[in-house]
Amino acid sequence: MRADIMRTTIVTTLAIAALLASAAAMAARPAIDELKSRVVLDDYEANVLFGYNIVMETNKYAARYAGNGLNCTSCHLKGGTQPDGFPLNVAGVYPKWRSKNGVRNGIELRIRDCFLYSLNGVMPPPEAPEVQAVAAYIHYLSEGEVIGKPPAGWGVPTLPDTGADPNPPRGATVYARSCTPCHGKDGRGTAAAPPLWGPDSYNAGAGLNNVQRAAGFIWANMPVGNERSLTHQEALDVAAFLHLQLRPFDPREGGLKKLAERVYHRISTWMGKAER
Amino acid sequence: MKLGAYCAMLLREALPDLSWRRRVDARRELLAGIVGAVLVIPQAITFAYLVGLPPETGLYCAVFVGFLASLFGNSPMVGGPNTAVSILLSLTVMQYAGRGSPIYTEFVLVLSLMVGLIQLAIWLLRGAEIFRYFSPAAIIGIKTGVGVLLITSALEGALGLSPLSTQFFYEKFYLAAVSWSELVNPYSVATALVTIVSGLALKRIWPRTYIVAAVIAGGIVGTAIYLVQGPIGSQLELLGHVTMRLLPVQWPHLTPQHWLFMEAVVPSAIAIAVLGLAQSLVIARDLKARLVDDLDLEKEVFAQGIANTLSPIFSTFAGSGSFNRTSVAVGMGARTPLAGIIAAGAVVAFAFALGPLLTYLPMPAIAGVLVLVGIGMIQGDEVRQLMRGRVDGIVFLVTLFTVTFLGLDVGILVAVLASAAFLLAGMSKVDFDVSHEGETECIAVKGNLFYASVDRLGQHLRAHPSACTRLDLTRVPFCDATAHAMICAVQYERSANGGRLDLVPAARA
Repeated sequence: MRADIMRTTIVTTLAIAALLASAAAMAARPAIDELKSRVVLDDYEANVLFGYNIVMETNKYAARYAGNGLNCTSCHLKGGTQPDGFPLNVAGVYPKWRSKNGVRNGIELRIRDCFLYSLNGVMPPPEAPEVQAVAAYIHYLSEGEVIGKPPAGWGVPTLPDTGADPNPPRGATVYARSCTPCHGKDGRGTAAAPPLWGPDSYNAGAGLNNVQRAAGFIWANMPVGNERSLTHQEALDVAAFLHLQLRPFDPREGGLKKLAERVYHRISTWMGKAER
Repeated sequence: MKLGAYCAMLLREALPDLSWRRRVDARRELLAGIVGAVLVIPQAITFAYLVGLPPETGLYCAVFVGFLASLFGNSPMVGGPNTAVSILLSLTVMQYAGRGSPIYTEFVLVLSLMVGLIQLAIWLLRGAEIFRYFSPAAIIGIKTGVGVLLITSALEGALGLSPLSTQFFYEKFYLAAVSWSELVNPYSVATALVTIVSGLALKRIWPRTYIVAAVIAGGIVGTAIYLVQGPIGSQLELLGHVTMRLLPVQWPHLTPQHWLFMEAVVPSAIAIAVLGLAQSLVIARDLKARLVDDLDLEKEVFAQGIANTLSPIFSTFAGSGSFNRTSVAVGMGARTPLAGIIAAGAVVAFAFALGPLLTYLPMPAIAGVLVLVGIGMIQGDEVRQLMRGRVDGIVFLVTLFTVTFLGLDVGILVAVLASAAFLLAGMSKVDFDVSHEGETECIAVKGNLFYASVDRLGQHLRAHPSACTRLDLTRVPFCDATAHAMICAVQYERSANGGRLDLVPAARA
């Protein structure tokens, strides 16, 4: 009986403590604007702010490793706070295995991958201050999330099967109608929106260079101000149209190695023909 | 009147003195400047990496600190980013902020400002004199120790590892050795080795510009590996984009947080200021002795101080005179500050021209440069010469061991104390010859009489309170209040006991 009471007391105390702790954790997360106005920042807060600045203006604050006209916030909408727009409150999901590189990915490797593929830049070392700052910002955004459980609105929605294949020519008409005002006729982007293809956009190894994922992103977030107005099929068509455009090559394979392989292939087939 | 003269002297030193323009050999200065610029670019990037700031800040340091130090100075000494200063800046600020974060950058700039202001204060107090007592053995000890530190700090970059934090440098070698197979990146090692080996081989042929050739060789090999294997396959770390601006002017942040930081780092700032000046003045004294007669050391102190004070305004960190680049410039025939000014301009031109190429410069090649610079700082013949003298040898060894095992800041303090201790020990050596002229004892004293040296003489005099003694002080250059009081006390004692103590005073100069 006494043990029962003790147990209840302990459980209640723990529950209250946990509640208080979570309340303290919620209260401990100040808004970015408040951080900006603070006179004294500790190292974590300074890194969160630096990470926020990198996400918003990658080409200014992480110019050393960025390589194109995109910023993190071009895809991680609103500084990574938009559900269904690749939100960044994902610290609890890492480390995890990814088929992209076939290894266990920590949050640092994930961030470095973004610099290499989506930003088509130079892969920073894991200890680069830029990587650490973005990791701090992601941690800051993830406060209150459950470890191991994908947060609500993770990534982009997966569109249901429409029953028809994605059709790039129809996508071109949708692009001309809905996307050109901001992204420009040639996809090079304008002051209002980032470039979608060409030398100044993400490369062929980027996550968005995948028709399904790009379609989900476009359907949920585009056109800005009139989201979810395209049909699923239209989103798929536009994504297929984007997928066909020219963009920087996938850096997973060295350019020279690829070239050498092609030359070798040409020569060997030519020799094979000559023998016949 | 005296104050007026002091002010006039300060003003003369503070204004750029362009009298050197009459003895300019433009062709030689131009050549020396351009070679200096080629040489400084890899070093500037490497030292920015040492400080923990983006590469362009190192180039800004080469351009703006180098330019200001040459403009206000009066010698062919080349200023700009410096190894020891860079290491100390990073060690100091790392205790207060995460390496490379914005607050870290601001702290480095604020610390540079403090270093410059302290150097200006040393200038106002006529501090160049003090550095005369900084023993060459201690300086060579610091130089050698910095060489060892550089080589060890390059280890991770060369092996493609994340920074290892160990207490002593040799532990890093142990860690790298035991985790060789799973951690070390063979492509990084290959690139670094090509840089180091080609540097050492080319040093014979081009003793001045071999570092440039080495970084080109390492860069070509590393880039080839990168292009063939790709970024994922090779895992080679690249320098990244160097976003240089022509005039990176900004106003240093000074919020209460920065004031707190400044308060906390005053001792380190003094150590950095003293070390920077000590290096610059060792170079300047050497130049004055060999080449430039009218070199004004106080003016060089002002030039270093003003260059470092203005460095944060140009978004860069403090520097000092550079041993290796000055010797190259002088070797190419530079005799005036024009070479340094041309070098600063040429760095801007080269950096803009090379910008895209620098992006793909592999970091292991830069680590290789660090090793080469480190090896260059360890001068075997200088050390051998020092080890011949017993005192010099001890000062050198003590300094070297403290720098390598306890860190540069402690090492500098120990170096100063060791040189002062041995200087004091040498000064406090007092010889006295005792002879007898009948009843009178004659003591001829040779050496300085002061608190540290007066004891033995005092004991001798007090042993015979009733004797008659003549104390010959003609070869005593200095006699302080303690010694004076001792002599008076002995005279009093003698007169009370029927003895005498007569003095033969030193001739007044």
